[in-house]
Amino acid sequence: MTVTIDLEQAIAEEATTRRRRRRPGSLGAWLGAAWLLLIGGMAVFADYLPFVRGYAQQVPYARNFAVHPGSDFWFGSDQLGRDVFARCIYGARVSLLVAISSILVGLTVGGVLGLAAGYFRGKTDRGVSIVADCLLAFPPVVIAILIVGRLDALSETGFSVLWWHPTRTWSVVIVLSLLSIAPITRIVRAQTLSLSQREFVVAARSIGANRRRILLREILPNLVPAMISVAFTGIAILLVAEGTLAFLGYSVKVPTPTWGYLINESRPKLRDAWWPTIFPCLMLFLTVVSFNLIGDRIARHFDVKEAAL
Amino acid sequence: MSASLDRSAPGPLLVVDDLHTGFQTERGLVRAVDGVSFTLERGRSLGVVGESGSGKTILSRSIMGLLPGRNLVRSGSVRFEGVDITHFSPKQMRGIWGKEMAMVFQDPMSSLNPLMRIGNQVSEPLRVHLGMPDKLAMATAEKLLRDVGISEAQRRLRQYPHELSGGMRQRVMIAIALACGPTMLFADEPTTALDVTVQAQILALINDQRRDRNMSLILVTHDLGVVAGHTDEIAVMYAGRLVEQAPTRTLFTQMKMPYTQALMESIPKLDQPSHTRLRTIPGRPPDLVNPPRGCPFAPRCAFARDRCREERPELIDATSPGHRFACWYPVGSPEYLETKQRIDAADAAGSAA
Repeated sequence: MTVTIDLEQAIAEEATTRRRRRRPGSLGAWLGAAWLLLIGGMAVFADYLPFVRGYAQQVPYARNFAVHPGSDFWFGSDQLGRDVFARCIYGARVSLLVAISSILVGLTVGGVLGLAAGYFRGKTDRGVSIVADCLLAFPPVVIAILIVGRLDALSETGFSVLWWHPTRTWSVVIVLSLLSIAPITRIVRAQTLSLSQREFVVAARSIGANRRRILLREILPNLVPAMISVAFTGIAILLVAEGTLAFLGYSVKVPTPTWGYLINESRPKLRDAWWPTIFPCLMLFLTVVSFNLIGDRIARHFDVKEAAL
Repeated sequence: MSASLDRSAPGPLLVVDDLHTGFQTERGLVRAVDGVSFTLERGRSLGVVGESGSGKTILSRSIMGLLPGRNLVRSGSVRFEGVDITHFSPKQMRGIWGKEMAMVFQDPMSSLNPLMRIGNQVSEPLRVHLGMPDKLAMATAEKLLRDVGISEAQRRLRQYPHELSGGMRQRVMIAIALACGPTMLFADEPTTALDVTVQAQILALINDQRRDRNMSLILVTHDLGVVAGHTDEIAVMYAGRLVEQAPTRTLFTQMKMPYTQALMESIPKLDQPSHTRLRTIPGRPPDLVNPPRGCPFAPRCAFARDRCREERPELIDATSPGHRFACWYPVGSPEYLETKQRIDAADAAGSAA
């Protein structure tokens, strides 16, 4: 009798511990999602939110870091009397926009290259792999400085194609896209290689499906879960990369703030006022963690093995 | 190109002549299929039996041209509907796949696209090959599902593979293979991944459909019991070669090849007293990179003599029609009987001691 009861209890306990063990991963991802929604929402609607000041608005009494973090200036004020909170929110705009558009470009280009390499193999694969290896071999900072510098020079000559002319935002997106292509290509290639050996792809061939159908209907949809998780992890990496560029002075031009720029801006005054540096750091940190948590959660959900990121 | 295929052309449906299929590896050429020839008439069924690694799966995929092209070495000829399809391009093969030849795969768990609804997967060949409009294709898909014995076909169309059991999925695979009315169906161990209770149903289904549609069938399996009741003819493969081929009844009553006999002795039979020890075949299948010089089965054969180890036996006709075998000392020959006597005596001595 007692044995039975013990057993039942043990099973119940086992179940609860298992549930408990599974929870933290999901909880982190949900918190991350909540944070991203909050930040994303505020960044998009910053102009209409009553509690967000303009990012360039200078408040006379707040000059020289006069206001500490509190109810008036939530994150304190900076040297010119601007609201650090507002600047963080507007910074999110540029940082997120740049990171997301870069990862989208990376996914498109890397996806096509990886799909081609993994499916057609042979010469295509060799060509694509060489290009990817070359991209990975370049020191990223050197590429960044090179491209931003060249595009700056181009921009000064007044160069433009139709409505487009190279601005710093474009330079940054181009640099970050270029950097994200190679790792994504590698992952997509590996996934495609293994997918195209799967029985259902052979089965599709055996009923006469053509290449386009196999790529678009059999392989591509099965790549999507992996791609989503790669995208989230990739955005996190790109956010930090943008910060690095800003730190070196190669990111988006003043006065438009980005998180990297904000972190760098008041850094020399860190002894007098910690808030204008620490709060953007915190924003960047939390956002990066959120993206990573969500990316990991999705990867675990779809059982994606990250090969090269 | 598919216009060159004529369904009413006289002659056998499929003629495979001296087909070799190998893979170039670092160790050398792996001869997975080593000189196989056979003929399959319209509406007839052939069971291909062999141990794992005997090349039976590669044989069926090689005939269909489904093997990945890299490192593949293929020679010999495959004539289908009187046309040599050995050197057809993938594009030409696409005109044959689905419409003329179709395959049911071993593992229904992995041979359906997990992200596509059943309805789309069944109706896809109809839309692609027969150019059916979506609605008609769906209706036909529903009818196909009903044909293969799936209940609530209408609801199944909207379900995903993970919502179906293994047996159901294999039925779906069969429906997909049958969709465009192929004249030739390959079934590659269609029941291996299934529950024993479902196996018989699936085999009966395949056979019924074959009869109704007058298809030819090649049923690949490692289980003699599976082919026994479901095919007109049986071909036994060993180390990439055909070692015996005969109409089913003939094979079971007058088998010539000690390997076939060994296979037979390794499956339990109802008329044996219980607790009869099943005989296993000692040793392993030979290395396909460096196959033995003589008969490939010689190293494992209890009846092998020096000649078996030196000279390779070719397929020769037996007395009964349609029966071929490759053995120097077949079952019933004086040498066979002599060895058999010796073995039996040793067995008796062993059990007496």
